[in-house]
Amino acid sequence: MRTFRGGLTIGLAVAALVAAVAVTYERYDTRTLKRTIRRGEVYCGVNKGLPGFSIPDDKGNWTGFDVDFCRAVASAIFDDPTKAKFIPLDASERFKELQNRKVDILSRNSTWSMSREVNYDLYFPAVAYYDGQGFMIPRSRNIDSALDLNGSKVCVQGSTTTLLNLADYFRANNMKYTEMKFDKLEDVVKAYDSGQCDTLTSDASQLYALRLNLSKPNDHVILADIISKEPLAPVVRQRDDDWMMIVKWTLYAMINAEELGITSKNIDEALKSKKPEVMRLVGTEGSYGEDLGLTKDWAVRIIRHVGNYGEVYDRNVGADSKLKIPRGMNQLWNAGGVQYAPPIR
Amino acid sequence: MTKLRHLVWMLAAATALVLSTSQGFAQSRPDADEPGLVADDSYQLDPEWQKQVVYYRSNEAPGTIIISTAERHLYLLQGNGRALRYGIGVGREGFQWQGLVNITRKAEWPDWVPPPEMIARQPYLPRFMAGGPGNPLGARAMYLGTTVYRIHGTNRPDTIGTAVSSGCFRLVNNDVADLYNRVPVGTKVIIRQKPEL
Repeated sequence: MRTFRGGLTIGLAVAALVAAVAVTYERYDTRTLKRTIRRGEVYCGVNKGLPGFSIPDDKGNWTGFDVDFCRAVASAIFDDPTKAKFIPLDASERFKELQNRKVDILSRNSTWSMSREVNYDLYFPAVAYYDGQGFMIPRSRNIDSALDLNGSKVCVQGSTTTLLNLADYFRANNMKYTEMKFDKLEDVVKAYDSGQCDTLTSDASQLYALRLNLSKPNDHVILADIISKEPLAPVVRQRDDDWMMIVKWTLYAMINAEELGITSKNIDEALKSKKPEVMRLVGTEGSYGEDLGLTKDWAVRIIRHVGNYGEVYDRNVGADSKLKIPRGMNQLWNAGGVQYAPPIR
Repeated sequence: MTKLRHLVWMLAAATALVLSTSQGFAQSRPDADEPGLVADDSYQLDPEWQKQVVYYRSNEAPGTIIISTAERHLYLLQGNGRALRYGIGVGREGFQWQGLVNITRKAEWPDWVPPPEMIARQPYLPRFMAGGPGNPLGARAMYLGTTVYRIHGTNRPDTIGTAVSSGCFRLVNNDVADLYNRVPVGTKVIIRQKPEL
């Protein structure tokens, strides 16, 4: 009797344990890196078409800031930037598809917010691009601060957080404005271009893209003021720490490379450097890459194939692109911005 | 007399231009200095090099100038997380430097006396040139510490955004005049270079 009860207890305990393990396994994926390596490709969820960030050409070649970040992860793992497959996702489906393991990373201009991280069981490893709401004005108005916009007619898209931020900003600064609200973004732009309002507000990265389509792009400027926080970050599933670390340190390797002056053009020179910080990044000292589950030259692969943070920025959205977005907040911390990577050591 | 001098310079400049284009510009004129060429004021700078207010976070006091050689930008800090940014031309490879200096003197339409080092490298340069529209120092100059370097205007607006000078920082004439009116003698100037490997 006693042995039966004992056996039953042990049996139940074992069953409960197995169930718990099974549930945990089902809920928390900890094998993204293994699966990616077996498959030979990183699956990246991207925007279907956002100039500068991710957009396919007519032959299906993807370009953009978010696309290049995924190629950087693929380079770190496979030493081959083409080992990234791009899966276009809508805003509404993006987080679900990440949870469903349809993609390994979401690199899709997604704003990092507390609720998204906590409620969706997701993790935003590091901020890739600091975006935020700004204002476009005709150059002829000759003002350089959003604080001078008192009494303006403002073109804005309806039912967006943009509308709410606008109201907050003007109220906080004791300024008046007239709202010119449109449901479609193209109507907002049309109204602004035809002079129906004094300024147009939207996320800054979008303002630069919209400006390209105005009848006289050069007659308009985007103010430096940013009135809301839209930190865009890659996204991974929670509780797969090994994978999260790879994504996080891929970005930090790119930022550190820029700070140290290492580019895709001088990477071979960097391998001969005797500067300790450079040596740790390029793997001629220490075993940082191996500790990450990759190889010694993980960062070299990223920089060689994709480039450092500044190169990726300039090529896709900055000075060398059509958008020409100033570095602003995305400049390095020691050059007037807030991009700051922890050291590799 | 002045007219005649201008005419002579214009002719010289035109000849130089013809010669340099036929021989390959960069080799024959590493400095891109063209004494006598009158600046084309209608020249349209790329958006990147146009004067603009930008976001710029710094612990330095408003009124400080920060020059980023690698970026080809000069920032005049405004406080409140912003700066006025100007596009500049900087020293060519081997002629870039970094440091902390003050503006020690300001001059309008400065005369140009190329320092002996520069004459040694570029013997074709004049020994003295009076200030004026054809002067490579342009409309204004701000002298940096006790160095031979200055922040100055230019008669070659097309060299903004490039690394061609002997270590000076050049702005287009409108911009340098604008900056000149904003900064007093004694202004702190920080020159930052790109990191060495």
